[in-house]
Amino acid sequence: MDVIVEDVTKVWPGRHDDDVIALDKFSYRFASGRFSCLLGPSGCGKSTLVQIVGGLERATSGTVRIVDTQQAGTPRPLGADSVMVWQNLNLFPWRSVINNVAFGLEMQGVPKGQRHHRAKALIASVGLRGFEHHLPGQLSGGMRQRVALARALILERPILLMDEPFGALDAQTKIVMQEELLRIFDETRKTILFVTHAIEEAILLGDEVIVMTARPGRIKEIIKVDLPRPRSLEMVNSKAFGELFDRAFHLIREEVMRSMAQQARALEEQQ
Amino acid sequence: MTARNADTSGLLERLLPSIVIAVFILGWELLVRWRGIAPIFLPSPSSIAEYLMRMIVDGSLGLNLGATLVRIFVGFGLAAVAGVTLGILMGMSRIVARVANPWIAALYPLPKVALIPLLVIWLGTGEAYKIVISAVTAFFPIVISSYAGIRQADRGLIKAAKDLGANRRQVQLKVVIPAAIPSIFAGLHLGMGVTIILVVAAEMIGGAGHLGMGNLLITAGQVMETEKVFASLVVLAVVGAVVIKSQQWIDRKVAPWMTVRDEY
Repeated sequence: MDVIVEDVTKVWPGRHDDDVIALDKFSYRFASGRFSCLLGPSGCGKSTLVQIVGGLERATSGTVRIVDTQQAGTPRPLGADSVMVWQNLNLFPWRSVINNVAFGLEMQGVPKGQRHHRAKALIASVGLRGFEHHLPGQLSGGMRQRVALARALILERPILLMDEPFGALDAQTKIVMQEELLRIFDETRKTILFVTHAIEEAILLGDEVIVMTARPGRIKEIIKVDLPRPRSLEMVNSKAFGELFDRAFHLIREEVMRSMAQQARALEEQQ
Repeated sequence: MTARNADTSGLLERLLPSIVIAVFILGWELLVRWRGIAPIFLPSPSSIAEYLMRMIVDGSLGLNLGATLVRIFVGFGLAAVAGVTLGILMGMSRIVARVANPWIAALYPLPKVALIPLLVIWLGTGEAYKIVISAVTAFFPIVISSYAGIRQADRGLIKAAKDLGANRRQVQLKVVIPAAIPSIFAGLHLGMGVTIILVVAAEMIGGAGHLGMGNLLITAGQVMETEKVFASLVVLAVVGAVVIKSQQWIDRKVAPWMTVRDEY
């Protein structure tokens, strides 16, 4: 499934007439089976973009089309083929691990026995066997992240939308989760849109890094990452990785400086 | 500090509340005996206990307490059903909220005891009046907390549920209502507190010949049976504590996630 974004603009209405343009005529074709990382300073509209792709926010103008490449380009309804993994996870705190993971199937009306059977298998595959009946509040951050991943994967949607999913994890847990995600990508070859503000993470995971400008969000540059798969963390020390990092770093540095200048100006105007 | 010292200090900490209570009662007893205070002003704990025993044995405590408890549970039950239902409806339908809001805004701050004369005119001083006054009072905190709970449901959870394929009805049933449970329970706690207060207050106005702890208190007071007054107060305090504690226990049984959600 390709995700075709055309001229998508998103304007958040302000209280007075200070509307915020989060995305400005963003166009890109996210190719099927590719791992695309969206990298940009905070507030550049990258989260908004994936939510629009997932059908959870409406674009102010422009279109997003999900196209099945195998079926002669038939357009599909937004949200039907994708599932989101959120930065703050959004696990249901009153549901046990198994009932969180099985939530999507429950909404489809899959009988309890069947959905629990599938949820158990997924829970085991993310290394949480034995924690089926724990509540999210009883788990560590990394374990909760695995639950969120399993809850998304159970629906077997071809497109995975990830909004800074590892942003809140500590450094060690983050590494383990990145390896886990690489393994899942190699096994399933889903189309992944991965939002991050961590340069290293974007290069380690992605086939391409889409560097975005500070608000309003546009594409600044696209960096192709031609590191071989399966990827591993050791590649971080390679020369190729270092060169990609430097390139992305200089691009993002400009944008972060611009973003900070914007924020400073906005503060001055308030005073 | 050695492990043994830590153990003993932990034990001391757990026993301290009971020790303080025991010292307080002992001090009270000694004060009354030493100064020879007349029981009509301040009876000694031992004589209060004696009265309490007598009230238990002759069955008067059981009858009065039973009548009060029935009123509390019936009043609270009515308020809980009506309050939670309306609160949820208000949270889910803007029209219901619009219509109900001015009524709640006007009636909530009204001291409900001010309704007693009117209710006595309409309903007399029987069961109906006592139950209505307590139910009406408990209704407001319950409806307000339930409404707030529904409205404050986490937007992120709602979005996540939609993303996972939940339709509107499923979002309401599977996300919004469970997310409101802590707030609804908080409202029920407040409601139970005011129900107890209002039932006992209403019983005091009921007049002679009626059963109830409020009635027992007021008649004992009028004939200056101070021991009986104290005995009734002790019973009310203990009953109140038991009711509130069991509510907390039910909360933990029904929604165990409420207590673990803040671990991280």
